[in-house]
Parts: sequence; C-alpha cells; structure tokens
Amino acid sequence: MTDTPRTESRLSAQGVTLAYGDARVVHEVSLEIPPGAITAIVGPNGCGKSTLLRALARLHAPKSGTVLLDGHDIHERSTKDVARELGILPQSPVAPGGITVRDLVGRGRTPHLKALRPWSEEDTIAVNEALKATGLTGLAERPVDALSGGQRQRAWIALALAQRTELLLLDEPTTFLDIAHQYEVLDLVHGLAAEGRTIVVVLHDLAQAARYADHLVLMSAGLILARGEPNDVLTAERVSAAFGLPVTVVPDPVTGTPLIVPTGAPPGRSAVPARASGMKENTL
Amino acid sequence: MTTLLPDAPPTPGAKLTQPRRRLGYGTAVTLVIAALALVLVIVSLATGTVAVSLFDTLRAAIGIDTGTGADFIVGQLRAPRIYTAALVGALLATSGALMQSIARNPLASPDLLGVSAGAAAGAVLCIYVARTTSSLALAPFAVIGALAAATLVIVLGSQGRLEPFRMIIAGIGVNFVATSVITLTLTKIPQDVVPQAYAWIVGSTNARTWEHVAMGAASCAVIVPLAIFMVRRLRVLEMGDELAAGLGLRPGQLRFVALAAAAVAAGLAAALVGPIAFIALVAPAIARRITRSPGITVVSAALIGVILTVASDLAARELIDSVQLPVGLYTSLIGGPYLIYLIIRSKDAFR
Repeated sequence: MTDTPRTESRLSAQGVTLAYGDARVVHEVSLEIPPGAITAIVGPNGCGKSTLLRALARLHAPKSGTVLLDGHDIHERSTKDVARELGILPQSPVAPGGITVRDLVGRGRTPHLKALRPWSEEDTIAVNEALKATGLTGLAERPVDALSGGQRQRAWIALALAQRTELLLLDEPTTFLDIAHQYEVLDLVHGLAAEGRTIVVVLHDLAQAARYADHLVLMSAGLILARGEPNDVLTAERVSAAFGLPVTVVPDPVTGTPLIVPTGAPPGRSAVPARASGMKENTL
Repeated sequence: MTTLLPDAPPTPGAKLTQPRRRLGYGTAVTLVIAALALVLVIVSLATGTVAVSLFDTLRAAIGIDTGTGADFIVGQLRAPRIYTAALVGALLATSGALMQSIARNPLASPDLLGVSAGAAAGAVLCIYVARTTSSLALAPFAVIGALAAATLVIVLGSQGRLEPFRMIIAGIGVNFVATSVITLTLTKIPQDVVPQAYAWIVGSTNARTWEHVAMGAASCAVIVPLAIFMVRRLRVLEMGDELAAGLGLRPGQLRFVALAAAAVAAGLAAALVGPIAFIALVAPAIARRITRSPGITVVSAALIGVILTVASDLAARELIDSVQLPVGLYTSLIGGPYLIYLIIRSKDAFR
C-alpha cells in the first residue's frame, strides 16, 4: 500500500449534513479526497455512502456544510464548470435504445461542447482515447444493447473518461456484474488511478474495496466510522459494529488485505475454528 | 493514454470514423422524408374537383398571379389550407417529440397528457366569452390553457423531482378535467355560436386563410429551431437526471423549457385548426424508428408530422365525395394502426 500522497486534496467535504426532505442521512461529515489515489467508500445499505458521493459531485446540495472543489464551494460554481473538472458515473444510467458505443461515449463530451462549435477533432480524440483505455475500440460501432454486462459498464466508464476530468466518481460500478466482470472493472479503475486520476468509488464488497483502495472510508448510519488504509480501517470490531454482523477478519491469501468472514455458520452447519485453517485469529 | 485492457479485435471492415457517422444515415433518411413531404404537398395542391394545370398550380401556390382560375382555387382555397395543415403537423410533432423525450415515455404527447385538451378548453372558453372562432383571438387562450394543463401535469406528476410515470397518470387526470370543462362550456354557449364552436372542437383544416398560414409559420419559426437547439441536451437528459447533471446540464431548467415549448406548440396548433389527435403521438415515434435515432429527433419528426397531416387533410377533402370529414378523423385512422403495428413489430421500438 502506498503512502497517502503529500499533494493537496482538490475535493473535500467540510462538515456536510445531507438530507432528503427532513430525513437526514449524513451528519456533519468531513472528508478529504487524496489526489491520484483510489478512495473507496463502504458501509451498510442506507448508511449514506451514495448520498455523500452525490454531494461530492454537486448532485445533492448539503443542508449545512460545504463541498470544496479546488478551494471553492462546489455549489457556487456552474454545473458545466464542475463537469469539466469532475466526472460522475451514477448508479443506473439508461442507454438509449440502439445507441452505438461510440455515440454513448461521445455524450461524455457534453460539458466541452459549445452551441456554435458542436464537435471538433479534440472531441474525436478524447472519445478514441476513452475507447482505447476501456478496451472498446473494436466494439465502438456496436449497439450498446448487444454488449455483455461488463462491456456495458466499461462503456459507461468510457463515457466518464471522455469527459477528461482528473476527478472521477463512480457509484457502485460493479453492481449487477458477475465476479469476473467485477474484477475487470476494478482493474480498469486501478489503472486509471495509476495514471494519476483521483478516483472515489462506492463499493459493496469489502474485500474488493480493501484490495483496490488506497484510502478506505467506512460509513455507518450517516457517519464516517473510520478512514485510512484498508488494513487499519477494517477491523473486526468496526465491521461488526457497522454492519451489525459478527465477523472475523483474516488476511486475503492473495493480497494480504483484510478479508471479512462472518462468524455465524449457517443453521445446521458447525463452524470450523479459524485456527484450524491455519490463519491468524482476529475474532470479535 | 496507455491501454489498460487488451483491445477487443476490431470488427472486420470497421473504420475509425467520426462519432457522428450514425447521423449520416439519419440525415439521408431525413432528406428522403423531406422530399416525400414536398411531393405530397404538391400532389395535394394539384388535387381537387376543379382541374388546374400543374404549372399554374405551382405558380399560384407560391403567390404568383397567374391570371387564371388557379389564383382562387389554389391560391385562396387549397394553398392556405394545405400550408396550415403542414405547419400544424410540424408543430404537433415537435410538441410530441419534446414531451416523449422529457417523460422518457413514448406515450407522452400533448393529446394524452391533457395539454391539447387544456388548449381546447381555453379556446372554448374564449369562444364562449368573445363569441369568435378567429384563430388569432383563440391563440392566447389556447396557449394559456395548454400551459395551465402542462403546469398541472408537472405539479401533480412530481414530488420534489419529476417522475415520468406519475406525470403520465397526472396527464390522464388533467385530460379528463379539461374535457369536462369543454363539455360544460359547450352546454352554456349560446345556441347561435354552438355550430362554430363544435366545428372547431372536432378539428378542421376547412376554410383556412393566409392569416392562418402566417400565424403557423411564425409559430414554427420560433418553436422548431428552439427544439432543434435543445436536441443534444435532451438526448443526454434521456439517459437520466444524474448523468445529465454530472455532464454539466441543468435537468430541471431544461425540462421546464422543453415542456413549455411543447405546450405552446400544442396550444398554437389547437388555435389554428382545433385539436387534432394522434399526430403528436405517432410522428415522433415513426421518426425515431426510421432514422434509427438514439434519442429525440426533431427535424424528421416535424417532417413526418407534415406528411401525416397533409395526407389526412387530402383524405378529408377527397376520399369521400360531397362530404368533408374532419381531418382529425383521418389522422387517427392513419396514426392508430401504425402505432399498433410498431408495438407489435418491436418491443424495443420506443426505448
């Protein structure tokens, strides 16, 4: 795991409270997004992780507190202005019927297009690069409907890449994908961060988050329970408290990152003591 | 940028072309539709019980004094009526295209969302109060009625944020209310105005004048370019509010402008010829399908609207001797079955 880079954070939340109507879902949360790294936000359903991500992308106005982008309140800047700095892939965008991959990715150029200069060579180059980075060049003229789930998710990520922003926010990009496609998408995200992009990603799978994140944020009930390196954040105590599920944490046999295992065996099956499998015991 | 994933092998024959390659196909189809629309207008101008030479017809139709019977038959009777029908077709189709885009639903159209009925209610109230069926006098009332209905649909159809399905249910409700207002007003209208009011309610291109053409042309000159200007943004909005906002658009503002433009277009169309059913619903659906457009398309929809309305008008004039049926009857006869055909043929047609 790399050290947190010393350079200044471009995106941060400062005492942000987020609500839907009167129902508060995030309570006075502060968070700095380290540049050039992957920040993964994890936590149980309804803990406010997606809402926090949306607030960081200017899609949700805070009830109090501010989100700062390059030192300025993100809500004081125009949505188009923000879209040139920060890309967000929401949870379930809709691909128009019959649209080709290239057309879909091209729509990522929206914040850069002007009324009198609808499309330029620069836009074509950005689209071609986004297609190449996501391995979709050969599928560019295919209809999106004809792609596999993993390819389709790559196409959406390509759309966000065509936006050419250094900051990229992804809301559960692995949902609805099988395990191979999940890792395919995560490898892609990892590569993007390796190129210097700043990534914030909401993930469900804790082991995946631990494997890929440089900076892990564990949320529960609208608060940040812990943040930092995955090894420090994902302790059995914290995960058990956050999810209300007794767990033990063992090292991932491949990466050594934390692997979360529930301690309760299914009814009718006896739990094998962790020691018997030769792993370090770390039970609550 | 480095390649992070092995590239899929290129499809044989695939070229690295401009992202807008697809528009090439759509543009070609649009040009064909435009040619068809032009031919249809000429055929309609030249068709009638009084035979006029094609040369005189064309000259009279563009306002050249031929010194023959064509000046009256074509210049005063056929041309204004046909041009009005064409312009109304374009207005209705544009209105429908905008509504289908913002509702993300092929069933959204001013007729089904109660906006046309709202326009008709406004116009009938004007007929009741002012005892006139002049399009110019009806226009402001029809537009206000349409905007009021659209506002109701938006207010009832949203809870904090607009929900397309809720909006359609609200539209059905507004449609019923507006229809009741029309019926109620008709029962109160003095007997001598009822025939005029009723003729208007049915929707007719009969006895249109150059004033109607001027009004229709002015309406189109504002609405259609505005809609074309919004196409690129609306196509992004169709992919979801959050994605659109993330790409720098303002979904609420965009939807407001598009819906207002759609309501005004439907109101003006209603003021010109009364409520004409189905054009706004069917024309954009046909246009999207035949141009294979991934999202809203305005120019081809407007042209399909022209074709359908002019063809319906021609049928209303000529199909049954001695009886001039209302044009709205034929728009339904053409539009209804085609829509059913589309639904049966492909469940993806409207996605």
